[in-house]
Amino acid sequence: MSSDIVNALTISARGMRVQGARIRVIAENIANADTTGLTPGSDPYSRQTISFKNILDREMGIPLVEVNKIESDKETPFKLEYNPDHPAANSEGYVKLPNVNKMIEMMDAKEAQRSYEANLGMIEQSRGMISRTIDLLR
Amino acid sequence: MTIQDIGLFQAIGAKMDFLSQRQAIIAQNVANSDTPNYRAKDLVDVDFSSMLKRKTGSNVHQVSLKITDSQHLGAQNDSVSVNARKQKNTYEVAPDGNAVVMEEQLIKAGKNSMDYNLMVNIYKKQAGLFRIALGANR
Repeated sequence: MSSDIVNALTISARGMRVQGARIRVIAENIANADTTGLTPGSDPYSRQTISFKNILDREMGIPLVEVNKIESDKETPFKLEYNPDHPAANSEGYVKLPNVNKMIEMMDAKEAQRSYEANLGMIEQSRGMISRTIDLLR
Repeated sequence: MTIQDIGLFQAIGAKMDFLSQRQAIIAQNVANSDTPNYRAKDLVDVDFSSMLKRKTGSNVHQVSLKITDSQHLGAQNDSVSVNARKQKNTYEVAPDGNAVVMEEQLIKAGKNSMDYNLMVNIYKKQAGLFRIALGANR
């Protein structure tokens, strides 16, 4: 009976884990917001994106959320900056800068934080249900 | 005769079972609040008043008898079966196809927890009545 609530705990814990992975990817993007290429004209750091999927966990018999893919964002173009002295500047003097938009990353981080908190709230609630059930013994 | 043979306790147990399953479903919805193309699920409501009537006999005032022999007139041996369905109507669908409304899920979770609390308290009250009958509470 209470195994369903234990399942709820597992599901929420997994939810927190994938949000943690999302935060890690966002941190990576922000940390590399100024990482340019090393040789003239080379590509800079490319923004990473993360997506999730809900997959049946055969061991537990319940669907758990997990990280689907972490891939680099190929749609957003790199920013170009005129800086002929830069080691990564191409023959026209332009440097390719990463396609990281810090505003988007910060907003994404906030959203991940909120989702993390929501999962945490679910864990607290499920835990309350379990302890109330155990209190029936008293 | 165990405590689970008493109609009301059976009904409370069934409802608690239903609520803990629902908790797992809501936890899943919250964990998948950022999964593309995920639609929120919920358990189909079970009519507990009619189930209580079935458990306690055709009339609410009557309590069905314990069956110890196959020739006794039978009470139905039925349990609640629940199934999770995807929500058809949602408030909004995100551009990635995700249709989980976090507020809705958290309100559901809160209500679920309250219902569970109610069941636990009814259980305690009923057990207290038995304790009075047993004279153990003096």
